Amino acid sequence: MKNSKIVLVFGGIILLGLILFVLNLVVGSVMAPLDDTLKVLFKVDTNNTLNVIIFNYRLPQALTALLAGAALAVAGLLMQTLFRNPLADPSMLGISSGASLGVGLVILLTGAISGAAISSFGWWSTIGVSLAAFIGAVAILFVMLAFSARMKNMTTLIIIGLMIAYLAGSITDILKFFSLKEDIHAFVIWGMGSFSGVGTSKMTVFATSIIIGLIATFFLSKNLNILLLGDMYAENLGLNIKRNSVIIILVSGYLTAIVTAYCGPIAFVGLAMPHIARFLFKSSDHHLLIPATMLIGIDMTLLCNLIARMPGLDGNLPINAVTAFIGAPVVISVIMKSKKQ
Amino acid sequence: MTEILKTISLSIGYDSHPVTSDINITLNDGDIIALVGPNGAGKSTLFKTLSSHIKPIGGKIELLGKDLLSYSPKERAKLLGLVLTERPDDMFLKVYDVVAAGRYPYTDMFGNLTEDDKKVIKASLELVGIINLIDRVFNTLSDGEKQKVMIAKAIAQNTPVIMLDEPTAFLDYPSKIELFTLLKRLAKEQHKTIIFSSHDLELLLRYTDNLWIMAPKKPFVAGNSLQLLKDGVIKDYFKIKYSDNEYLIKENV
Repeated sequence: MKNSKIVLVFGGIILLGLILFVLNLVVGSVMAPLDDTLKVLFKVDTNNTLNVIIFNYRLPQALTALLAGAALAVAGLLMQTLFRNPLADPSMLGISSGASLGVGLVILLTGAISGAAISSFGWWSTIGVSLAAFIGAVAILFVMLAFSARMKNMTTLIIIGLMIAYLAGSITDILKFFSLKEDIHAFVIWGMGSFSGVGTSKMTVFATSIIIGLIATFFLSKNLNILLLGDMYAENLGLNIKRNSVIIILVSGYLTAIVTAYCGPIAFVGLAMPHIARFLFKSSDHHLLIPATMLIGIDMTLLCNLIARMPGLDGNLPINAVTAFIGAPVVISVIMKSKKQ
Repeated sequence: MTEILKTISLSIGYDSHPVTSDINITLNDGDIIALVGPNGAGKSTLFKTLSSHIKPIGGKIELLGKDLLSYSPKERAKLLGLVLTERPDDMFLKVYDVVAAGRYPYTDMFGNLTEDDKKVIKASLELVGIINLIDRVFNTLSDGEKQKVMIAKAIAQNTPVIMLDEPTAFLDYPSKIELFTLLKRLAKEQHKTIIFSSHDLELLLRYTDNLWIMAPKKPFVAGNSLQLLKDGVIKDYFKIKYSDNEYLIKENV
């Protein structure tokens, strides 16, 4: 692909992102006319009910979607290259299952100790759930890191990751069995994913943590590129295989853990976006793929958030239903295309 | 002549079970060596030990007068290049990208290629005679072409030693001859020390001067290929019938 064409495709993706971002501010149960929205955004007109809707709800939600999209998509790219498996994504590490387990534990313990549903605990029901998701995700991440530091073989690592995910999943199911009905409902809602949980209050922490992780991925492109040759070649070229996989799993897992803690387990973004990036740019160079995957992930989550928030749906459509709806056809078409080649 | 690689009573194997012991060899720049032996003889164990993928269980390997294990992975990457039977398998990986990977030990932390790196990549492709493939997707190449790309990668890596694991394995006859000629040229013109394993005994007798022979429960032998043939070592190690061996000697000596 020529450089001019690369710039053109990048420009297209960014433009689409900008349009989707503005639409995210405009569209909702209360439609905000574009000119009014812009006035509110650039503080020309502050005496408006729109001010509240946009600054308190829509802007933080769009920013959450944007950051989560970039993070999940690039986390998926790291996993696919590390495992050299086109169907790898961060869920393979058991991160989402770990987060679910953490949330399950909190919900059950709250219910068991107090006898009341978690929803009756006010702040604890939101902060507690995010915290539990994060601790659960990080705990599983450390288990996986311990395994990856010992193992050179990526296939065994995938199997261990999947087994741990199943294990965490089954413990969560057992916990759910003993939980109160209202708590199970809260758990199911969390599992559907949402970009509205961050809000203005937690935005600084969320954005800072995500941006740190995103910057870290740019330092990985060199090692990711030679991993494409296979482990033996990479090792001969001077790469420390074990240390490198620990670092890649750490960065990918960190990003996934934060997004899952704040937004719930969001599927398909990490799996499907790297494929779109590869096909658009016809490249496997990570210097290109890392920013491309982030930007495409941003477009994707902004689009999903927009669809979930269409007038009439009123933000009730779970994000996971939308991501899978768009993600699944993409994965199928990529597999069909790669079979043909 | 410079001494490049030397082993001192080297024992190789896994988990302290020696496969072969007491290997003493010295290689100079421009030497080209074929490693032969029936399956299970320990060829790939020796290969992996020399490329420091696994550790020796006894003795010592010296590369440019220093213990092989004393080099950092980055330093070693500039001294010893590998060509393996495993092939990169990625839908969009280009020939240029594969050869560029050979520059990994030399680039900055982001892996940016300098103008010099780009020159080395092109020169490596030219040396192997596949500059016309530079923009092709690696996966769409023939086995012979892929082999050459991997050799170009090893050349771009700019190491005094190149080791090739069964480089003739998937090649048709003309490509095998072409490969032997290329390896000989690299040894002679670029003064590379080349070690490769192979099963093509017939071709090796014709195209290479020096052999390392291994067989299960037999000592490691290094020597001139025709001499080893005449002395009956090849017959013993490969369990070749007497009459066939006489034929081989008649044909080659």
